[in-house]
Amino acid sequence: MLRFDRVSFSYRTETATISDVSFEIGEGEFVALLGENGAGKSTLLRLCNGLLRPTSGRVSVRGYDTATTKTSAIARFTGFLFQNPDRQICQNTVYGEIMFGLEYILPDESERRRRTDETLALFSLDGLGDPFGLSRGERQQIALAAILARKPVLLLLDEPTTGLDYRECMTVMEIVSNLNAEGTTVFMISHDMEVVADFARRVLVLSGGRLIGDGPVRRIMKDPGVLREASLLPAQIPALAMTLGDSFANIFTIDEMADTVGQRALARQTSVGKTS
Amino acid sequence: MNGFLSYVNGSSPLHKLHPLTKMVMSFALCASCFLSGNHVLILCVIGLNLCLFASAGGIARAVSTLLSFVKFSAVLFVLQLFFIKDGTPIFTLPLGITLTYEGVMFSLLFVLRFLASTMPLALMLSVTPVGDISNVLVRNLRVPYRYAFVITTAARFIPLFSEEMSGIMEAQTARGVEFDTRNFIKKIRLLIPLCVPLLISSVRRIENSAISAELRGFNLRTRLSGYKRYSFGANDATILIACAALVAVSASGIWP
Repeated sequence: MLRFDRVSFSYRTETATISDVSFEIGEGEFVALLGENGAGKSTLLRLCNGLLRPTSGRVSVRGYDTATTKTSAIARFTGFLFQNPDRQICQNTVYGEIMFGLEYILPDESERRRRTDETLALFSLDGLGDPFGLSRGERQQIALAAILARKPVLLLLDEPTTGLDYRECMTVMEIVSNLNAEGTTVFMISHDMEVVADFARRVLVLSGGRLIGDGPVRRIMKDPGVLREASLLPAQIPALAMTLGDSFANIFTIDEMADTVGQRALARQTSVGKTS
Repeated sequence: MNGFLSYVNGSSPLHKLHPLTKMVMSFALCASCFLSGNHVLILCVIGLNLCLFASAGGIARAVSTLLSFVKFSAVLFVLQLFFIKDGTPIFTLPLGITLTYEGVMFSLLFVLRFLASTMPLALMLSVTPVGDISNVLVRNLRVPYRYAFVITTAARFIPLFSEEMSGIMEAQTARGVEFDTRNFIKKIRLLIPLCVPLLISSVRRIENSAISAELRGFNLRTRLSGYKRYSFGANDATILIACAALVAVSASGIWP
């Protein structure tokens, strides 16, 4: 689906922002991109759909080389959610906003209207509402709805949950997760390690423009070397599991922790009962 | 990322001039273009602007700015051509459109003036921090601080708006809007809906700035304060004499 082959990128006046990065993301994967501020995460995401072109190396999406394909052509099958929804919203109604993005991919107006109605229902949005009068979380949802209405096969998310409260964050992430379950590939930047632990299955870690970690979320979240180099703190449950030692090494979720602690408490109770 | 009207840090002789000298120089370069109707003189002013940019270490930015304005100027030139019908005909197009010698010369003068007069402001802002402009307006030109603040804030916001517009265009391109088209008319048509998000984000940003200034006691200022002092040197005097000479030559009609 997405392939980076020895990609480097630098802005005109700066030293390399992305340096010799190679990886491949397959269809249906849910990948999180982690790293400290200034590591080059947003730059890397912009390289994925041709908003930026690599200085050297090759980026291909579904076989299309981003250096030679128009961004608007790549946008036909990719969706990109920016941190700031206000850069995307440009219509006076929620309905108009969702329709606007569809104009470029669906020539048939009735199909556009059907797709818009479907999206409004999925997100429980009021089509006649004024998007600019809504909260940031709601505007982020509208921006996401407008992208998802286009049914992209690759979804690029630049910190989709920044500025959202817990409920809004879960609503957005559950929609993304459901889409991923239906086959959409998701590549997401996030600083929220709990969100990454709960939803992503693979993690890429960027530090100083270099890829320093690539693997299953369970492994990377428990790799102290990679986490330290990228100035990251693991999610709470993996952190607790690491603190508790090797016997908790495989624990990653709240349910797993609850099961293990429960089993141990039961075993201890039984052994205490036997001794007494 | 530097917009074309933002300050570029440096220590060139131009950077070290008194801010007032730089403002006068910018005004003199602009004025000379409008005082003279001579194409060669205006071309020389454009060349002088480029040399000054080069001396301040900003030639790459100046050339890229100039090239982007040249594209716009080409459109202006063509439009202008069609509106001037008086003079000696040199060419007749279908639909009875006649190009005249005077029309061509005036259109050329028009775009040269446009190019030459936009560069000095960019030059001045690229070598003068906005704070220095504000200080000079208040201290030397006796402009009330409130108005100086408005002027400098407007100058500070231009690159921010330009960056915001780039961000908006990027967001729209990512959802399939064809800003990467080569068709200029189509591009303009696509830009119109984007005025909405630009306006909204600009108003939000300005409102935040106003609230922030208010919370830091903007309205409570009763006297001027500022630690920076600027001194006139030999370079300032030289530049001011050169500016006076340029304006005099342009106005005198020595070079008609």
